[in-house]
Amino acid sequence: VGQFIQLVVDGLANGSIYAVLALAIVLVNQATGLVNFAQGGMAVLSTYAAWRLTEQGVPLVVAILVSVVVSFVIGGLIERFVMRRFERGDPDTAVVVTIGLLTLITGLCGWLWSYNNQQFPSLFSLDTVSLFGAAVSVRSIGTFVVVVAIMLLVQALFRGTKFGLALRAVAINPESAAFSGLPVGRLLMAGWGLAAALGAVAGALVAPSLTLTPGMMNSALVYALAAVILGGLSSPIGVVVAACLIGVLENLAAVYVPFIGYDLRVAVPFILVFVVLVVRPQGLFGRKVVVRV
Amino acid sequence: MSRLTEISSLPWVRWTAGAVVAVVLLVLPLVSSEYANQNLARIGVFAVAVLGLNVVMGYTGQVSLGQIFFVGAGAYVTGYGANEGWNIGLVLLASILLPGVVGLLVALAAARLGGLAIAMVTIALPIVGVPLAKRLSDVTGGSQGLSSSFSNAPAWTGLFNDQWQLYLVLVIGGATFLLTRNLVRGKYGRAFAIVKANEAVAASMGISPYRYKVLAFTVASLIGGVSGFLYMAVIQFTSPETMTFGHSVTLLASMVIGGAGSIVGSMLGGAYYVLVPQWTNAIDPNMTELLQGALLLLTLFLLPGGLVSLPRAIARRLRRNRRSGGTGHHETPSARPAPGRDGVEETATDGGIPTERQEQV
Repeated sequence: VGQFIQLVVDGLANGSIYAVLALAIVLVNQATGLVNFAQGGMAVLSTYAAWRLTEQGVPLVVAILVSVVVSFVIGGLIERFVMRRFERGDPDTAVVVTIGLLTLITGLCGWLWSYNNQQFPSLFSLDTVSLFGAAVSVRSIGTFVVVVAIMLLVQALFRGTKFGLALRAVAINPESAAFSGLPVGRLLMAGWGLAAALGAVAGALVAPSLTLTPGMMNSALVYALAAVILGGLSSPIGVVVAACLIGVLENLAAVYVPFIGYDLRVAVPFILVFVVLVVRPQGLFGRKVVVRV
Repeated sequence: MSRLTEISSLPWVRWTAGAVVAVVLLVLPLVSSEYANQNLARIGVFAVAVLGLNVVMGYTGQVSLGQIFFVGAGAYVTGYGANEGWNIGLVLLASILLPGVVGLLVALAAARLGGLAIAMVTIALPIVGVPLAKRLSDVTGGSQGLSSSFSNAPAWTGLFNDQWQLYLVLVIGGATFLLTRNLVRGKYGRAFAIVKANEAVAASMGISPYRYKVLAFTVASLIGGVSGFLYMAVIQFTSPETMTFGHSVTLLASMVIGGAGSIVGSMLGGAYYVLVPQWTNAIDPNMTELLQGALLLLTLFLLPGGLVSLPRAIARRLRRNRRSGGTGHHETPSARPAPGRDGVEETATDGGIPTERQEQV
């Protein structure tokens, strides 16, 4: 039972990181209707920025906060100068653009900081504490708590502030939002910036255990996209639940299903998606979308 | 220009041109260097892979990041079958059918969600494929990979290996190109195009978007299997490295840069896949990915139709200059080629993934 609890808590910690990335993807999708495949790549860039700062002797927390702010700005700039041209067009083209961005950013990280693994310092100690008789790492608990706090913050921003209301208005109907005098362009930039900032947090949380490489977030992107499909693009809560579910299930499968093991656990979300798509194509929590011609 | 298309649509011109091309292709492997032959054969291999991607993405408008997985699967089946001593025809058949079946199963699930679900699901294929290939080490040789020399030139031909392999690519790849060209120009091609343009309209015309998406994806994976067979024939070695995520993205970039929804564009894409990494590696291996990303984005911004649309883009630019020069030279605003068999492909190219919005701000 001890091992089981440990696996579940570690899984929740991993899952919560996927959830942050997935939320960033949903945020962009709600605002612009496209799926940003570069979300993970942008997160890696932010993490490299934080890593460079810590190398200069900046305290870790400050470095992460700075990288979050920088990511917000970069996210906004990418929306304005790269994505804006493609937003109202064919979503498939926009997706190809984000894939191009992913390649460009990954290549930039590899060129600037080499493709070798870098050690990223952890926010939390590597000690374990006893929880219901199981040894659980402080890092897992800390990660989970930070993520929950961030989600509450994002929720508060969207539900409780005028800025959040404006963002939601743009997401629901950009034309009407523009008619009511909202600066749609700047709000879209802010949406991308927020998503990039979320990604920066996810990167900083996941980097200590994965070690920092340009392709660090590729598998996290697969998990996040699986969570987005499972949860349904229109349901942030569903996405978070799905991401945590994926984190826990892949950890359990790695240990209890011999064929899967640690190397093939990336297949778990894929199998889950497969099953759900066949049984319930709109996702666990999603709504059916009706298209009008 | 319109006179040129008129001449080239005459039957006897087309037949002669075809015969000339065939003779050139027949003689070429005999006279060019070993290095050139190998490069040409590799270009052929990846041109077929890009062609497959084009069927699902360029013609049907469904972004797929999994094409390289089917190439890898085809290569593994080929290597395994050849080493087990199966009949080579059987090997070819198996290397096409197995990826096709996997593709069909993936598509049956992925196409159920509209929109971008196929992209979101297929991104998992290369990422799951690499550890899966390592795990099935009894069949795949694990991380060491699998080599096979079934494609060495038989003694009776008196050919060198590189010549024999290039002939294999020309025959099998050529047949694949021909079949695919007929597919996308016929009734299926029109169905793909309407699914791409507007799924709701397609459904109202009695064309089920789901069925045609599944069909396109399955055809793409079958063609991926052909490419895998040729890959094994030319490179004679495959490993999990063949189907990494990076290669998958490069394949997609090759398709867009070559020209989405175009047969010629697929060939250009194959050339891009083989040649451009060679050049970027020569500049600085650490910059390969950076340059690739930059090239892809530049193409999307400046030449959304890909390289294949370059002549037309230049012609359009020239025409515009001439008109603004005010010489009074009268010309129809769009010198589209004469309607007929060619018109089908032209509109298909025009509707190629990234085109439509070039004038948009």
